[in-house]
Amino acid sequence: MGKLKKIILVKDTANNKETVRFAELFNSALRDRALDEQAQVVRAADINIYNQGVVVRIMPSDITYVNVNEKDIDMIIRKSIKNNDIVKEILAKPEDKQIRIVLRNCGNVDPENIEDYLAADGYLGLKKVLELDDRDKVIEEIKKSGLRGRGGGGFPTWMKWNFAKEQDNETKFIICNADEGDPGAYMDRSVLEGDPHTVVEGMIIAGFAIGAKKGYFYIRAEYPLAILRVNLALSQAREKGLLGQNILGTDFSFELEIRLGAGAFVCGEETALIASIEGKRGCPVPRPPYPSVIGLWGKPTVINNVETLSSVAPIICKGGDWLAKIGTEKSKGTKVFALTGKIANSSLIEVPMGITFREIVYDIGGGVPDNKNIKAVQTGGPSGGVIPEKFFDTPIDYENLQNLGSIMGSGGMIVMDEDDCMVDIAKFYLKFCVDESCGKCAPCRIGGKQMLDLLTEISEGKGTQEHIEKLKTISHTMQKASLCGLGQTAPNPVMSTLKYFENEYIDHIEHKKCTAGKCESLYEYKVIEEKCRRCGLCKRNCPVDAIVGDKDEGYKIIQEKCIKCGKCYEVCKFEAISRGNN
Amino acid sequence: MAKAYINNVQVEFEPGKTILEVAEQVQVKIPTLCKHEDLPATAACGICVVKVEGSKKMLRACCTALEDGMKIITHDPELVEIRRTIIELILSNHPNDCLTCGRNNDCELQTIAADFGIRQESFNKITRKLPKDSSTKTIELEPSKCIGCGRCIEVCQNVQNVWALSFLERGINTRMAPAGDIKLSESPCIRCGQCSAHCPTGAIFEFDQTREVWRELLNPDTYCVVQIAPSVRVAIGEGFGYPPGTNLTKKIYAALRRLGFNTVFDTNFSADVTIMEEASEFVERFVNKKGVLPLITTCCPAWVDFMEKFHSEMIEHFSSAKSPQEIMSTLCKTYYAKENNIDPAKMRVISIMPCTAKKYEITRTEEMFASGYQGTDCVLTTREIIRMIKQAGIDFNSLTDEEPDHLMGDYSGAGTIFGATGGVMEAALRTAHHLITKEKLSKVEFENVRGLKGVKETSVSVNGIEVKIAVAHGIGNVEYVLNKIKKAKENDDPLPYHFVEVMACPGGCVGGGGQPYGVTDEIRAIRAKGLYEDDANCEARCSHDNPFIKKLYKDFLDAPLSEKAHHLLHTKYVPRPEYKK
Amino acid sequence: MKLTIDNFEQESKSGKPKNKNWIKVGLSTCGIAAGADVVFETIQKAVKENKLDVSVFRTGCAGKCYAEPLVEVKAEGVARVVYGGVDKDTAEKIVQKHVMAKQLIDDHIYSIIKEEDNGEA
Repeated sequence: MGKLKKIILVKDTANNKETVRFAELFNSALRDRALDEQAQVVRAADINIYNQGVVVRIMPSDITYVNVNEKDIDMIIRKSIKNNDIVKEILAKPEDKQIRIVLRNCGNVDPENIEDYLAADGYLGLKKVLELDDRDKVIEEIKKSGLRGRGGGGFPTWMKWNFAKEQDNETKFIICNADEGDPGAYMDRSVLEGDPHTVVEGMIIAGFAIGAKKGYFYIRAEYPLAILRVNLALSQAREKGLLGQNILGTDFSFELEIRLGAGAFVCGEETALIASIEGKRGCPVPRPPYPSVIGLWGKPTVINNVETLSSVAPIICKGGDWLAKIGTEKSKGTKVFALTGKIANSSLIEVPMGITFREIVYDIGGGVPDNKNIKAVQTGGPSGGVIPEKFFDTPIDYENLQNLGSIMGSGGMIVMDEDDCMVDIAKFYLKFCVDESCGKCAPCRIGGKQMLDLLTEISEGKGTQEHIEKLKTISHTMQKASLCGLGQTAPNPVMSTLKYFENEYIDHIEHKKCTAGKCESLYEYKVIEEKCRRCGLCKRNCPVDAIVGDKDEGYKIIQEKCIKCGKCYEVCKFEAISRGNN
Repeated sequence: MAKAYINNVQVEFEPGKTILEVAEQVQVKIPTLCKHEDLPATAACGICVVKVEGSKKMLRACCTALEDGMKIITHDPELVEIRRTIIELILSNHPNDCLTCGRNNDCELQTIAADFGIRQESFNKITRKLPKDSSTKTIELEPSKCIGCGRCIEVCQNVQNVWALSFLERGINTRMAPAGDIKLSESPCIRCGQCSAHCPTGAIFEFDQTREVWRELLNPDTYCVVQIAPSVRVAIGEGFGYPPGTNLTKKIYAALRRLGFNTVFDTNFSADVTIMEEASEFVERFVNKKGVLPLITTCCPAWVDFMEKFHSEMIEHFSSAKSPQEIMSTLCKTYYAKENNIDPAKMRVISIMPCTAKKYEITRTEEMFASGYQGTDCVLTTREIIRMIKQAGIDFNSLTDEEPDHLMGDYSGAGTIFGATGGVMEAALRTAHHLITKEKLSKVEFENVRGLKGVKETSVSVNGIEVKIAVAHGIGNVEYVLNKIKKAKENDDPLPYHFVEVMACPGGCVGGGGQPYGVTDEIRAIRAKGLYEDDANCEARCSHDNPFIKKLYKDFLDAPLSEKAHHLLHTKYVPRPEYKK
Repeated sequence: MKLTIDNFEQESKSGKPKNKNWIKVGLSTCGIAAGADVVFETIQKAVKENKLDVSVFRTGCAGKCYAEPLVEVKAEGVARVVYGGVDKDTAEKIVQKHVMAKQLIDDHIYSIIKEEDNGEA
């Protein structure tokens, strides 16, 4: 690479105003020293370092300087451009906090071309497994890796496989659960679209391990591109002899088929998913018996999530011990999160278990935009809960999240700031579950709706302390007596916001106030005197005569009379009506 | 046997049994609104949750198998509180219009709410106005009263294999309805009424016609004849505090007279007629080789409807003899009207049946009008007649026994056992044997066809020839029998059966869809026992020995299968679409 | 050709001839929603028009949702760069400026990849 020009990558990570100026400064400094033939200055759009002032990176030597001042420019050029030296004082060692196992090929390989996947050691795991020809050893390797189900529950993958393997049955099935439905989660879609062969390979290996000859991809119909690419992957794998009869020339035969989910969230629940594939109404049935024993069409069935299956081939290739070195004591490996919400860099990240929320939010996500205060992070989607800022240094694993009142879930991670109202957030998630409840069992069907109505009343300022008590009572009943995970966990968003942000509930109930300004019914409308031109339009349009005054005195809104309809706010031509808090 | 503890009481149990079942062994009743003994658990209500010592999780007792060594707690303050909350939630989603509900005083939801001492509605009312569906004029759906237990759907789909009912929509909007959201009359519904018999609330109900009957009884211009079906006599008592199976035939006659019926007949008599015709038909096919075998019985209108919809290719196997109800009604408006000089135009025949499908049968085909008039004018289920008797202020329990009216009130033991699964077969065999051998049976009981086994396959020897028999009850069990027949026909194999009896309801008419609520296999067996005792007490045990049957043929019909008998007492079957537009 | 355990080592990586110059466009739903399909077409067209020896292919989502559409370029004589927030205009620049003129493009660089860390795509 010696022939390449050196590159000076410049980026102001604090507020971005200085990027252009610093790039110019570097440019003129280079010109002054007649070095502009040896190096090129470029403004970066992102340099993966945040809130460290101006960051300068010299490539290809890959030297990163942070908090660079004007006076550092000369030194940087002298040491790192003219020579291959470093300026120690401002040197940073940026570390990539992500470890990409599941996403190792996403963004690298062409998902529509099996040759790309093969070139990246694809199907090597399958080859190893078939060479080994020992189911127990495959399961042993998965056991060693400590891999747990990435769909939410965190059940040890090897145990699921082992239960199914132990079943004495000619027919067994493996199902890939790609019915991703949590609001804000798109990990599975990304993997299926970006690296479908990883999942296919994982399924074939799983099929071999449990003794299945057939597997199903259960993909939600709203993922047309994923369906297209998986289909393509299947036919390419068949062509290569990696799927179908006598895989890789061995006795092992295995077929895969796609089944489409029609968009019901509950069909991500194992037993409802099975019912859906069988052509029945997608409702959960009691467990036990677990699908590993009695599953699809009554046969032993292993259902694994996309992410879990994507981890299988690397584990086989690199060994279970390799994965077990990553992560915490009880949670091994990595987890993919869809980091969204009030975050600078919405992204799909894969991080080792044990990473903290702080690292994710600030080092990877770039913090909260617009200098707003962060309030919490929500994990686990509608089954999860909020984690307030004071717990941001907690290492993320299955147990810790549960202890905090949330769950790992499938990997949605939504950042919330001061503009997010916790009552509103609880309402949002609960509404999702109420809409998605299959309606089979009474606690979830009716309890969810009752809780939602109570929350709605609170958000409208009609709440009382009794509302909180009822929320707790129903929540307890739903958690204990609902049939499936959806109903059992649906109250979590409410209970966790109530636990950590009870003050916000009290604000809504006692003071009829929504600090975040999210709950429309609690808006306060006021006339901004400075802006008011005293046209009287607001007064004429107020349906309840809550606006008093005249051209001479100006206008005022009587809060006791105001029904928060927003009419005055809409009709005012001078933006002289404010709405929000206080 | 495994051992476990329920509320600290040790219990030995058969592995595989649920916590709910084993708890009953130690006199612990775990409340539930969705589990029904007849049906697999739907696990819908969540009221039966129990705790396992040492675990935070709660388990549904209805569908969780008790495991060896488990320590179960079925009742503690937390469990009671959770159950109460669920009940309150259900009540918040229920119209709670008990006083005007058909299940008032006989409702599982009402009972459990009373047991839990619910004194207020804690939660906001979330109910939906959903239209009633009375389109079948036999069964009425009132989905706003549905608590979503799923029993009706379970019984319709998996016991009866009809798949007319289903859940539609989801979440709080989930509702029970005919699949495809069509009218019940357009669905494959066979009107067996098992849905209504299993419903814990008033969401599915028989189409009430008591007021119509009151009007007829009050009308001075009409002449009201009533008939009661075999199985009604052993079930009606449950409405008046008698134990199931108590035979109250003669009290019913008395009550019906008090209600104002001019003539009281017994369907058992026309069951005897059915046997005369059907047994003769069997002999024609079996001995004289006229017509195909096996012969399949057709007394059950729900079964007839099912066959016409789903297995119309089997029509030629069907006995053309009308059901006892229709034979009675036809004979009332011909034979009885003529003998007693009553204008059949003014005659009204009302029948008391264990069955909702009988309401449908009366206008099924034009043969039901063979007398020149609609044979049966109105059908009341057992549940309806119980209400009428109560409305009339009749102290049923204190009534003295009365006899039926003559010509068509006296019956043989063969007629009375029609009400239990296997009964029609047994009755037919008694007469067929006589028709073939001309001999008297030394033992009239054919015990192999009795009992609650889903499909009973056996054979009897008549004149040294083996007659192969199958008896099926519960439509879900029919498929097995029909498949065997179809397979044999396809492969030209020897026939698996010569004679087949089918009744749509589990247990036969004693478990009919119009019978008093709360039926279980235990009650079905006790009701059937009541009928077999009635049979044993009859002077004539075979239809052909009933003197009034002999008189009927001598005076009016000539002989079984005569032209007149064919015209009046036989019917036809047509293929029908599963779904109607 | 069907792969077998025996020929796997030999055959599994023989399928795709490597081109030293390539451009990858992130074409998953997220990228497409951000306009990656237009970018992909634009680049394909520009490469063809200029008769460049550059392979253009699609890839999945690289995870930088905030920076979609993403284009990764490897061209001889210039650093390997991931561009983000690429529109039609930038796509043309990528071909003309980056690939042809060996010049990096301001304000769109999301990372420069150290070659020794990364093998071939």
